[in-house]
Amino acid sequence: MDNTLIDIIDDDEAVRDSLGFLLATAGFNVKCHASPQAFLEAFDPATSGCIVTDIRMPEMNGIELLRHLRENGNLTPVIVITGHGDVPLAVEAMKLGAIDFIEKPFNEDQIVQAVTAGVGESRENARRDQQRQEIVSRLAELSGREREVLEGLVEGKPNKVIAGDLGISPRTVEIYRANVMQKMRATSLSELVRMALLVDLSGH
Amino acid sequence: MNSAPSPLRFFQESAFGRYLFAMIAVALAAVITIAFDTIISNDTQVTLLLLVPAILVASVFGGLGPGIAAIIALTALLHLMAYREWLATSHEQIIIFAIVGLGMAWFGAALRESRLDAELQRQALQAREARLQAVLDTVPDAMVIIDERGIIQSFSSTAQRMFGYRDHEVIGRNVSILMPQPYKQSHDGYLARYLTTGEKRIIGIGRVVVGERRDGATLPIELAVGEINVEGERAFIGFMRDLSERQEAEARLQELQSELIHMSRFTAMGEMASTLAHELNQPLSAISNYLRGVNRLVTTSQGNVNTQMVLDALDKAAAQALRAGEIIRRLRDFVTRGETDHQVENVNKLIEEASALALVGAKEQGVRVRFDLSPDTDRVLADKVQIQQVLLNLMRNALEAMDESPERELVVSSRPMPGGRVEISVSDTGTGLSPEMAAKLFQPFQTTKKHGMGVGLSISRTIIEAHGGRIWAEPNPNGRGTVFRMTLASVGREEANGHG
Repeated sequence: MDNTLIDIIDDDEAVRDSLGFLLATAGFNVKCHASPQAFLEAFDPATSGCIVTDIRMPEMNGIELLRHLRENGNLTPVIVITGHGDVPLAVEAMKLGAIDFIEKPFNEDQIVQAVTAGVGESRENARRDQQRQEIVSRLAELSGREREVLEGLVEGKPNKVIAGDLGISPRTVEIYRANVMQKMRATSLSELVRMALLVDLSGH
Repeated sequence: MNSAPSPLRFFQESAFGRYLFAMIAVALAAVITIAFDTIISNDTQVTLLLLVPAILVASVFGGLGPGIAAIIALTALLHLMAYREWLATSHEQIIIFAIVGLGMAWFGAALRESRLDAELQRQALQAREARLQAVLDTVPDAMVIIDERGIIQSFSSTAQRMFGYRDHEVIGRNVSILMPQPYKQSHDGYLARYLTTGEKRIIGIGRVVVGERRDGATLPIELAVGEINVEGERAFIGFMRDLSERQEAEARLQELQSELIHMSRFTAMGEMASTLAHELNQPLSAISNYLRGVNRLVTTSQGNVNTQMVLDALDKAAAQALRAGEIIRRLRDFVTRGETDHQVENVNKLIEEASALALVGAKEQGVRVRFDLSPDTDRVLADKVQIQQVLLNLMRNALEAMDESPERELVVSSRPMPGGRVEISVSDTGTGLSPEMAAKLFQPFQTTKKHGMGVGLSISRTIIEAHGGRIWAEPNPNGRGTVFRMTLASVGREEANGHG
């Protein structure tokens, strides 16, 4: 399909190996890890498209791994696999943002679908991420005044009000506004506002 | 105690009665003297003779005091008669009569003393005998006394119950009627041999023998024999305890215990069933994954199949099927109620197998398990299933004890001990034991668990002790937690080879 990597984490070698085999035959690039620790050491957020992890493991379990990833700002989709009767744990995992949980022994279609969805989400994330990066870099090109005007526009203020706030003439605001549109490569005011909302303006 | 009728006791024992009796005797003597007045015709000597028994009777019944009282009364009477000239008695005669009477009174009093003593002794003896009889009747052992010819002299009520004979039916008969053939015939010979050689084969030693009841049934008896010597007469006293009841009780206890062992194994099963279901899920998932993968590989390859990949996956799937089978086999071994079957077993292998089952789910609990098995550990003669039951119990307990602990380490170790013993220990880093709990740890129905029956450790101890070993608990020397240790007698290497 593509070179997006699927990370499989299970302490049971047979389960790990067989799942890797199954996903490989379905066309995924697979990497297996015997424990969450081993996974975290080898983890590269840039290449990982989806994480499939067992819930019950010694030392660090699947839920703890998920929490650890989210706390470190990593949004890679996680699918948890559970044994019989682990539904409460699975629910906890879902609350922490796992995209799916699958019971052992699993249905092939189910796991392939889930992983496909995971990879899709990951790609979507990546796209959005890239977009965000672009917007941030475009924002960086704005001068101080241009940025102040942009902030006013995002707050929904008319040109006159912005001019009043900044102590400049409405005409000057018009010029800054045209510059912002051009630098942000926005074709309309609505697109400009959407871009601004994608990134957190105040943070910059 | 109350052998004398009460009027007699009144005259013998109360002071008033005794003196009254003396006076009656005197009066009676006087009446008789007067009644025979014509026959004796004032013969002084005969008269005195007739009066004498009054003194004797008074002193024999009443003692010295009443005797003297009788003498005084009689001398007074004699003086009166002399004064009235009914009788020709001189003062001297009366004095002599008094002196002789005094002697008789003393003699009568002495007689009375010894008679009373004898009475007291008889009473004491009677009391002692009654007590002895009561004791013999209460003692659970039957008691039979025989003389040196083997003739039954005494047969206690317990013996009557035990053998079904009444005492009057057997007393005077040879004790061999209580024995079945062939002992019946040889007993006289045994007795004779002992009497001639003095060689003690049973006296003071005791042994288990077979007895025969009146109805012909035989019963196992624990017999203790003692020898008694009464005034040169030798006799033998046998105490017998019926063992048939005890043997039955022991058999019942054993039955109950094996029942319990089975039960606890069953309960442990229940606890483990869900974990085992989980365990079985692993190979099943793997098998399903491999086969689905192969399916996909074959369908998508359009004739150009990577045979090696397919074969590898099929091999692995087959191995996982065997793994699932192995889990089920272990389970079945465990549930099957094994007969006691002692065989030479490798201690470390016993531990490994037991832990395979006991530690199911341990790693999911975050427990680090370490084995410290000495390769020098000798083999032991043991019932594998039972010892594994104990090990399993200890390990499951250890896991449970660490549920709440921040640090969870289970160490199972084996090592040879001096004196041909093997020590196995299971240590945890759990909550440890409170002193109260430690004290009654191995007693049945003691538990700290919510769903436990509290029989695990009790049964474990029964098992280990039945193997001639010991089991105990102590605080973990590494800080927190508990160590359970058990010892088993090892089989020397040569012996082990001989066996197998």
